[in-house]
Amino acid sequence: MHDRAVMAEDRVREFEVHLTRVGLGLAHRMGNGVGGVLLDRFLRLLAARHPRAFATLRGMRDARLLIDPVDAPAAVMLHVGPALCLRVCDRGAEADAAVRGPCSRLLDLMEGQIDGDALFFRRELTIEGDTALILELRNTLDGEEIDLLSDIATAAAPLRVALPVVRRNGWRLLELMDTARRLAPPPVRWGLAALERRVVGPQREA
Amino acid sequence: MRSFELICPAGNPAALRAAVDAGADAVYLGFRDETNARNFPGLNFSREDLAEGIAYAHARRVEVYVAINTYPQAGNLAPWHRAVDDAARLKADAVILADLGLLDYASRTHPGLRLHLSVQASAANAEAIRLYRDAFGVRRVVLPRVLTLPEIAQLNSEVEVETEVFVFGGLCPMAEGRCSLSSYATGLSPNRQGVCSPASHVRYEPRGKALASRLGDFTINVFGEGEQAGYPTLCKGRFVSGDSTAYLFEEPTSLNAMDLLPELKAAKVHALKIEGRQRGKAYIAHVVASYRKALDAFDKGMAVPKIDLEAVVEGGAQTTGAYKRAWR
Repeated sequence: MHDRAVMAEDRVREFEVHLTRVGLGLAHRMGNGVGGVLLDRFLRLLAARHPRAFATLRGMRDARLLIDPVDAPAAVMLHVGPALCLRVCDRGAEADAAVRGPCSRLLDLMEGQIDGDALFFRRELTIEGDTALILELRNTLDGEEIDLLSDIATAAAPLRVALPVVRRNGWRLLELMDTARRLAPPPVRWGLAALERRVVGPQREA
Repeated sequence: MRSFELICPAGNPAALRAAVDAGADAVYLGFRDETNARNFPGLNFSREDLAEGIAYAHARRVEVYVAINTYPQAGNLAPWHRAVDDAARLKADAVILADLGLLDYASRTHPGLRLHLSVQASAANAEAIRLYRDAFGVRRVVLPRVLTLPEIAQLNSEVEVETEVFVFGGLCPMAEGRCSLSSYATGLSPNRQGVCSPASHVRYEPRGKALASRLGDFTINVFGEGEQAGYPTLCKGRFVSGDSTAYLFEEPTSLNAMDLLPELKAAKVHALKIEGRQRGKAYIAHVVASYRKALDAFDKGMAVPKIDLEAVVEGGAQTTGAYKRAWR
């Protein structure tokens, strides 16, 4: 029973990682115009839920921090300081500091579900540039109880109601989708894979 | 009746809640300034945070200790005095101090405030501990991590003061509170500014598939592909000496004394301390819950379960430190 619950949790996380990668891919394609508006809204939502952390981020000196999920189609640049903002960017973009790791690990870290030092010891996370900036961001976020999907869901009443149901049953949905994918005739399967590549970009090794 | 008190770290309010919820008997923490030895960016407690944290902990019968364990600087005593005053005003259960002058100030100004002697004070013999007790009313001493189990047992047979020992987390191989390596490399002191290897002076550089860690102008280590990494502290650096490259002072490894609970009990240790105020709340929740489980089993006379904590320790390696051998 416990193993089943853990497996279900892992699959839900897998689903969330997939959504994040799709979201990053779409935002990258949309560019800073429409994508920027969406990200501004996302940041305002988080700020409303976590005012203490965002006051700290705005109080930091102006700096750019690249957060690079190495298995996603794009990275994000967080500008901290009074003009706090978030933008999708290329992973080679210039920054004062960079954190790189698999998308799932970065999500775990942001939500405080895993210890950053332990990830670093295991070399699952690499950091470059201004270490103090990274540490301050990590410590600030770790002081919050962040649940990204739940935070986003507060923006829309239907999502708020639907999210717990999706989380409870998400793994069943994923299994159904996997089965459907396996059973689909080859042309449909290829079509789905091509669509996924267009949205998310080619898969990279984490 | 519990055999030991379990004393747990908290670097921020979320970590405090994690420690309390996971089974801590007491949580130790520090203010967001140079008065405590973990003065890192984004870490520690404001006065408001402490008030909320104490309310949360006390509602669950967990105590809160405030570490004010750096050394006040000549001509600048105010931040340290203010820290002691605020800890007393906000009803902290104890303050953890190292400096003689500050112990004197706290005992005179707040006679009802419980005083613990920080590991930073390096009190490692009965005479020193009696002096702290007699002069300032110190009720508990956190013992340096350089003592063997027989030495701890001997000490506890000679003094009536409670003793607390580290059981998990980073090891500081220098005589506690007297480290000058980080100061030499960065100009900032663990004992005065509360920063060992300050992040502002740390850089990590990818070198192909290897990773180099630097502190100030010094390369501390180069970790090969797949090799577990460690903190960028000089004491755990790997250096070239003569014909060999080796860890000259100490290896990147963490203390874990979970297997030594019977010996620590026989040595009459009162409290067990987990290190790691700079670690994330996930680490704290995991380690505290693991130790709670081990201590609960021990209290019931059952075998202490084997709990794997390797995933969260520095360098992926664990040691019983000085407890099982004389310090070298």
